[in-house]
Amino acid sequence: MSATTRDVREIIRDEQVMRAPILAALADGPLTIPDLATAIGHPTREVVFWVMGMRKYGHLTELKGADDEGYFRYQAVERREPA
Amino acid sequence: MRYDALVIGSGIGGMESALKLADMGYQVLVVEKEASVGGKMILLSKVFPTLDCASCISTPKMAATVHHPNITVLTHAEVTGIRRDGADRFQARILAKPRFVDTAACTGCRQCEMSCTVAVPDQFNADMVARRAAYIAFPQAVPKKAIIERAGTSPCTGECPAGIKAHGYVALVRAGRPEQAFNLVLEATPLVGSLGRACYAPCEGTCTRGELEGSVPIRRLKRFVADAHYATGQPPSVPVAESTGRRVAVVGSGPAGLTAAWQLALRGHQVKVFESAPRPGGMLRLGIPAYRLPNAVVDDDIANLTALGVEIATNTRIDNLAALRAGGFDAVLLAAGTHAPGRLRVPGEDLPGAVSALAFLRSAKLGRATTAAVAAPADVVAGTAPDGQTTMTDGVDVCGQRVAVIGGGNVAIDTARTALRLGAAEVHLVSLESREQMPAHDWEVTEALAEGIVAHPGWGVRRCRGAERVTGVALRRCTAVLDATGRFAPQFDDTDTIDLPCEVVIAAVGMAADTADFAASLPTNRNGTIAVDPGTLQTRLGYVFAAGDVVTGPSMITEAVGQGRRAAFMIDRWLSGHELDPVAFDDRLPVVDRQAVLSRQADHSRRGPLPPPAVPGHAPDDFAELEPPIAPQEVRSATARCLDCGVCSECHECVSACPADAIDLGMRAEEIDAEIGTVVLSTGFRLFAADAKPQYGYGRFANVITGMQMDRLLAPTRPYHTVLRPSDGKVPDRIAYVLCTGSRDQTVGNPLCSKICCMYSIKQNQLIMGTLPLADVAVHYIDVRTVGKGYDEFFEQAKGMGAEFVKGRVAHIDETDEGNLVLTYEDIDHGGGLATAEYDLVVLAVGVQPNPEVAALFGGLDLGLDEHYYVEEVNEDLDPGRTTIPGVYVAGAASGARDIPESILHAGAAVTQAAAHLERQRQPQRSAQQERTRVPA
Repeated sequence: MSATTRDVREIIRDEQVMRAPILAALADGPLTIPDLATAIGHPTREVVFWVMGMRKYGHLTELKGADDEGYFRYQAVERREPA
Repeated sequence: MRYDALVIGSGIGGMESALKLADMGYQVLVVEKEASVGGKMILLSKVFPTLDCASCISTPKMAATVHHPNITVLTHAEVTGIRRDGADRFQARILAKPRFVDTAACTGCRQCEMSCTVAVPDQFNADMVARRAAYIAFPQAVPKKAIIERAGTSPCTGECPAGIKAHGYVALVRAGRPEQAFNLVLEATPLVGSLGRACYAPCEGTCTRGELEGSVPIRRLKRFVADAHYATGQPPSVPVAESTGRRVAVVGSGPAGLTAAWQLALRGHQVKVFESAPRPGGMLRLGIPAYRLPNAVVDDDIANLTALGVEIATNTRIDNLAALRAGGFDAVLLAAGTHAPGRLRVPGEDLPGAVSALAFLRSAKLGRATTAAVAAPADVVAGTAPDGQTTMTDGVDVCGQRVAVIGGGNVAIDTARTALRLGAAEVHLVSLESREQMPAHDWEVTEALAEGIVAHPGWGVRRCRGAERVTGVALRRCTAVLDATGRFAPQFDDTDTIDLPCEVVIAAVGMAADTADFAASLPTNRNGTIAVDPGTLQTRLGYVFAAGDVVTGPSMITEAVGQGRRAAFMIDRWLSGHELDPVAFDDRLPVVDRQAVLSRQADHSRRGPLPPPAVPGHAPDDFAELEPPIAPQEVRSATARCLDCGVCSECHECVSACPADAIDLGMRAEEIDAEIGTVVLSTGFRLFAADAKPQYGYGRFANVITGMQMDRLLAPTRPYHTVLRPSDGKVPDRIAYVLCTGSRDQTVGNPLCSKICCMYSIKQNQLIMGTLPLADVAVHYIDVRTVGKGYDEFFEQAKGMGAEFVKGRVAHIDETDEGNLVLTYEDIDHGGGLATAEYDLVVLAVGVQPNPEVAALFGGLDLGLDEHYYVEEVNEDLDPGRTTIPGVYVAGAASGARDIPESILHAGAAVTQAAAHLERQRQPQRSAQQERTRVPA
């Protein structure tokens, strides 16, 4: 599954460019990481880095409680971008 | 500086050592390489066996260390060397690395971090989540001050002669902030759109990505931000200083003059630009064809200036500097460019039909040299219909004519392609150089040839033929262009000649400064350029400065922009009575090494660069811009290719965001020498690199993590919101621990037990079962070592909570398609055969390793290491903490694996000896006697 994973530094660097597609995918409602990965066409492992980075910096947040399969859903947070 | 004690490292052992010595009344210097004190303990979830919160225990000690009146703490600093100073004392050299943040002003608000455009792995969260280049180490950091990670200047930024923060605007575009990117370029020059099209982009030539599959299209991204801004129709949003009441005259409105005028206006000076041509812009307006740089873009760039109140007087030639001074200008900048054309110096070059390239391009760009067949360039740019009128100025009309362009540089290429667009029947390019040696950029030559221009490389002009007007050029073979010293000295073979029939000859053979008007008052060089101080650009007349091509001779636009910036900086200092210091102008850090940048990653995925614009396959008949704008979807992939070479991009978002004005990118490293009475080494340990056991898959399988990573997942300041699988964010149902990973293992060169792994694993078992009540936890072990007060009871408690302990080594781990992990292990409790078990998540209980670099600190002194490379204690049973160097002591895990209580105890022993050493220094007579009567162990 992970045999072709990219270097962590490279994945994390992409958070800046992946923010917009992720927020666009969340525009219609909260999604799990596998759902997000499908929506934006990237591996779930990379989406974990981006979602957690965006969560850390206040772009999105998790909904309470995981679903039956053990996945949380994440939703966008209204956030004022730096002027 | 003079201290009683130097404590190196501020983990629990270092803090304990420093506090005990300080409480005894000694002056202590603590040097910590990280941005916060606290070491590894502050990053843990809880401590065993009490399950006390690690943060709750650590932070009081951290605060006490930093605020103790007898302790000085240097964080983000490293001891680079220690030598003996006399019999008992030491001299230490410390490198205080710059934080780029004024810690006195910083309030720890994290606004810099929130605005930062560079994401890097967060080492304080075991690389499981991103942090920013501007960051606060972790929420409990002491001091809680921001720091900016800067490895140096990124090559693209370092290479830009204009001083534009190329990495910065690329990072801003990547972050979805094109307007801020536009403003960042404005910090250097108002010519954002022009540079986005016509710059030859030296930044791209040095881009580290070029070592992989091709450089980032930096210039085209600049065009993107310029186009995005100009489409809004809004004036620039830049901070302008209050008016100084000083007036500056700028002579010339090319890149240097416009940039200088912009910079001076930003600094609050009143600026007026004088331009002899009918329209401002210099070579941008008059020299660069519209298919490369439309006039409308130059107009947009110049509008930035006029929005600041800069006046531009066109059709105004300045030939009297004293009159400007008398007219109320406090300073004058000469930036008149190089508008005198070079000459062929052959018979017939003054015949009608022969013209200079500068005059030809100027007429074309101003819309005066048109033909019946094609539109005026200005009209094309404006999008209006061709007017179809025929005008002819400067004595040449190329429509339907055969044109010979003489020269092999970029100007010659521009001239030839312009002639083609004006309807020339044939265009021939005659150059002394061979095709490979032509000074023009190769891609421009390729495009010109594709458009139908006929090249004649390796020929020189002997004469222009014709009686009343040009009818052709006589050429002779050029056998060499340069002499042995590299000087321009063409050699010809007069027996090898041809005639090239043509009606128009355009000479593109160089440009020179036209400074005759100023020669009486200003010294000039042999080539006519103005003589200036190269660092300050000041002329012999104190109030007159000069910049751009009129100083350097013909150069790139970016070089002229850089000259303009420098001149404005110096003029501003001169006007305000400051010293003209060339060093103060360029505050860039050294450029980072590109190989070092590439080596930050184990591998790089290849990302296709933007395809170059299609080479035109036919003779164009208008001046429509050739290069298309970069498409929005291309912008993301283009910026994602940036490697953040300097880490900090210098985008200046933190500078704008900081409410305390605490960001100081001008900070530099400082070397500090300290006189020390005693040294306490508390440099701690390193964690075993789990990928050194490749059979366990760490680094390849996302769901194989280390014990420290699990501790971070369990900590209050964790990278995720709970314990999740890194592969897909799923809550794990089955979790396995593999004990003794990298400990008690001769295959990795570490036969020692790490002492802490069993206990921290048991601690994590209990915490996981509290956090994830439904999860199953299994521990694969060889032995479980629980030596310590309450440790065994702690172990039994974990078993009672449901943790399963499986005796036997794990042979290897494999990954399923779902990201689950299959452990193959020796099942000793069930007969000793091989067995397998599948888990969602595997935690490798990695051991500890020594930190042997500490020995290198002692030049000329032999700091002993034991056989396992821990700091050697002379007699660890009876004399704990004493090293092989008198006066140097070791505290905590630097001398061997220890848990937290043991480290604290050991630190106490070490500082007791250190204090005794200091007392012997204070009472040398008594000390000597004590040494003599000391009973050996």
